[in-house]
Amino acid sequence: MIFMYIIMGILAISIFLGAYRLLKGPSASDRAVALDALTNITTALLVLIAYLSERFIYLDVALVYAILAFVGVIAIARYLEGGL
Amino acid sequence: MIESIIAWVMALLAFIAAVYAVEAKDLLSSAISVGIASLVVSILFLMLHAPDVAITEASIGAGLTMAIFVYSIGRTERWEK
Repeated sequence: MIFMYIIMGILAISIFLGAYRLLKGPSASDRAVALDALTNITTALLVLIAYLSERFIYLDVALVYAILAFVGVIAIARYLEGGL
Repeated sequence: MIESIIAWVMALLAFIAAVYAVEAKDLLSSAISVGIASLVVSILFLMLHAPDVAITEASIGAGLTMAIFVYSIGRTERWEK
């Protein structure tokens, strides 16, 4: 169980690193990639919260978020390419 | 202990993302920051034991709102004057 708490601390640090790139990044492409990385880190954090609180209905939040954040990243990439 | 640290991190990050979304001149960066703030608030809802609100916030806020913002930026113009 202490291992899961260590992983949660590591995920919090990596969320800060992703947010640093999101705020500092010079171009919009950096921010889009930072958003995608934060999506993956956050999905892992949601699954970890579902495991630690022992309520497996919480896994649905991670599932819905992982599907729908993909749509947002696709929309940003399509705009940066010039097609939207 | 670690849950309260995570909650403080999420609240701070939501504040920073919201301030940046208001202040940025690049509207695409503002739309991405709104997506981050919505994501972080969704985690806070989950940690407050409201998974249905978290599902709605994640689907509407992070998915649909950001896509509609990016679509409308593509139809109008990107830089704030």
